[in-house]
Amino acid sequence: MRWWAAVEWIDQIIKKGLKSVDEVEIFYVEGRSISADLKQKKINLASASEDCGLGIRTIHKGRIGSSSTNDPGHWSECLDAAIASGHLATPLPWEGLPVAQDISQTPLTFDPLMKVEPASALALLEQMLAGSEEHTAEVTAGSAGLSTSTVTLANSSGVHYTDSHTGVSLSLEAIHKQSTGYEFDHSSFMNKVNPFHVGERASFFAHESAGGKEIPTGNYEILLSPLAYAELLGSVFIPALNGRNVHAGRSRFAKSIGEQVSVPLLSMYDDPLLQGADGSVSWDAEGMPTHRIDFIRDGVLEAFAYDLKTAYRYGKTSTASAVRGGYGGSPGIGHHNFVVDGKRSSIADERAVYVHSVVGAHTANPMSGEFSVELSNAFWMEGGEFEEPIRSAMLSGNVFSLHNEIIGMSQKSRSIGSLILPSVRINKQHIIGK
Amino acid sequence: MPGITYYDLRHVTGQITHIDIDNGICESAGTTFFNKAVLRVISKSGWGILQIDNYQPCTGRKFDELLQKACALSAITQEPVNLGDVSRGVLAVPAMKEDPRLVSIEEKSAILSEIEKGAIHPSVVNRRANYIERVEQVGFFDSSGNEYAYEMCRSGFNVLAVASRNDNTQMGYEREHSIDGFNLRHHLGLGKKAAGIAVALLDAKSAHGGKLKAILDPELAGVFAHEAVGHASEGDLIQEGNSVLKDKTGQKIGNDRLTIVDDPGLPEFGFDPVDSEGVAVRRTEIIKNGVVNAFLHNRESLAAVGNGIAGHARGMAGEPPLVRMSNTFIEAGDATDHEIFEECKNGIFLKGSRGGQVDPGRGVFQFNAEYGYLVKNGECTGMVRDVSLSGDILTTLHNIALCGKNRKMSPGYCGKGGQSVPVSDGAPTILLCDAVVGGSGMD
Repeated sequence: MRWWAAVEWIDQIIKKGLKSVDEVEIFYVEGRSISADLKQKKINLASASEDCGLGIRTIHKGRIGSSSTNDPGHWSECLDAAIASGHLATPLPWEGLPVAQDISQTPLTFDPLMKVEPASALALLEQMLAGSEEHTAEVTAGSAGLSTSTVTLANSSGVHYTDSHTGVSLSLEAIHKQSTGYEFDHSSFMNKVNPFHVGERASFFAHESAGGKEIPTGNYEILLSPLAYAELLGSVFIPALNGRNVHAGRSRFAKSIGEQVSVPLLSMYDDPLLQGADGSVSWDAEGMPTHRIDFIRDGVLEAFAYDLKTAYRYGKTSTASAVRGGYGGSPGIGHHNFVVDGKRSSIADERAVYVHSVVGAHTANPMSGEFSVELSNAFWMEGGEFEEPIRSAMLSGNVFSLHNEIIGMSQKSRSIGSLILPSVRINKQHIIGK
Repeated sequence: MPGITYYDLRHVTGQITHIDIDNGICESAGTTFFNKAVLRVISKSGWGILQIDNYQPCTGRKFDELLQKACALSAITQEPVNLGDVSRGVLAVPAMKEDPRLVSIEEKSAILSEIEKGAIHPSVVNRRANYIERVEQVGFFDSSGNEYAYEMCRSGFNVLAVASRNDNTQMGYEREHSIDGFNLRHHLGLGKKAAGIAVALLDAKSAHGGKLKAILDPELAGVFAHEAVGHASEGDLIQEGNSVLKDKTGQKIGNDRLTIVDDPGLPEFGFDPVDSEGVAVRRTEIIKNGVVNAFLHNRESLAAVGNGIAGHARGMAGEPPLVRMSNTFIEAGDATDHEIFEECKNGIFLKGSRGGQVDPGRGVFQFNAEYGYLVKNGECTGMVRDVSLSGDILTTLHNIALCGKNRKMSPGYCGKGGQSVPVSDGAPTILLCDAVVGGSGMD
């Protein structure tokens, strides 16, 4: 089913739904993707997928129902299931889905030059392999993928928006003796990924980490790479800014608005309209026009993220932070381009422990923020150079309190998923040697 | 069809029913539907794979068109794929005690709500309970004439309690998931248990980092087996050269009494009646009496690597199967709990799991306990929170000093290559010497 054919039955679903419920919302996504995987240096498989999915949300007297299917031909059963699910939901204060507004329909994350074809994946893999030749290491696995999709959001208040996305992602894994290296890149735009660099870095980390020395247990100044910082931030800190978690008692920041929650040099915001960023959108998953949200400004907590449901329930305003993980289920609170920003400086001059990534960030305690993770590709760094590698150690601390110990941010930021963040230099972190 | 030496198609349809109750409010409840297939072909050069949403079974010219599409993809592949010879057969799916589909969603919601209310406590600021039920109809056929079909249902629930005092926020989390059928009844106490743990953790101390003796309860010891041994024995990683267990077959990496097994045929949460390539599932003794014995394989890695058993290919609906664990466990030993605590004398007793992760090429793993107790003179004393362990695959298994008598399996999900599959892990209580414990506690 093509999206222009979808328009017709979208109207039919809304019309039929309105016979039983106050409001109807349709989310329809259709896309295709190509990927190819390396087993060592040879392409072992190539795959293609064609996806489509229909999500329906109904609201009746404050009861929200939802259902989804990837067989849009059976939309009628899906609508019935959504309405039935609404009967079970507890009624909540609800002031209506958004009405249509004059929002730009120009896609922000669509690259017309991207060719979602096996040949594109082949070219990316070849460039990554060329990059990996820069250092002595064996490639173990790698992948390159390209995708394109069209998303349509419509509701019974007249919203009917369409957006298109493209995406390219690549990764490479390498090993040297008993030392591994991993690197990746992703973007909505073909010319913003650097496959040669991905290959070069993967083999660099594998090669350079070999022969690492032990580190004695103690407190050290550390440099978290954007990847290591993102791993810790994403699983603990960012969920605490989610308005739903705040009001439900699941956020440590619940009573911290107006308070200093990090060092003053740091700010965090969501900028959905950032040019060239992967998560950029003009409207959120409920059709609200997006705008910048300043969560933390100069270390002071200023705002939380809200979708419509949570905002209506707690007397707040939606921050257009509704996102969908796919077509299934209801939208939830998330972010579009989450940026960590602040005063930049040269942070790698003085000797510190550089941590490229960590093993086990998802086991951090999401409530208290406490974590103990294994270091991956850790080095002593001085004068901006990777010095001797560190073989194996654990880093223990608290994701919230380490934000009071950040003493600098690198000049450059990097995009990791939907986060855009620099390397950070942090005081007094506890490392457990072996 | 010219150029194609093998194909198979795995078609999964089904429905997912969920209920989400948050602080007494039914946030959402309902049913969604899915229909996905994956068609894999091997041409002269490699795999061509087509992932199909909303697959309508077809034959003749229509099916040939799909084969051609998949074959065209394989044009960029560069290495011939060989498939190992395997045995066939499908196990019967264990009968459910009570079919969840015969219980109305209103009744499910009412019972879940009771469990959630069990977590009410003056110090508990948030309670959340989720129910999930997934019914799958699976069909498979391949170009060699193998064909099977079965239906399976997995269901279960989680309950979370968050306790808070001053700036201290802690959580307790309980879960039950099974293939035995509707399992919400008779678990009304779990909400209360989650609340009890969350509240007790408010007074727990952070663990001190360092090397010490650790007693692992069956759930945590199961995750240890999964992270420390299971992933590194996956044949695809061995084939890629990304595991420290490569070329270690026959080498001793643990003590004589240590046997670690993966068995997809065990009627636990990771049960598969047949694997995703139509191969009969078999108990695989990864480590036998301390020696690296057999790798987990799919047909491709069996042919490329050998030294193991196929039947471990698993894929999510519509996704190409990968080599995966199913039910992974350390075999029971002969130590009593009393002996384990006596032998430990001074150390730490760790319970529950928040998961773990491994870098199999480097041979380093990390996993996390929900909570624990300091052991002094063989007795449990003060409670500690947020304790992680890490270790080296090739040395840590030697440090398993004692294995208890009773093995218990715990359900969970395992992620790899962007796919999440149901698994169970288990073990008896074990004593681990020289465990590297991470914790931020300071003197």
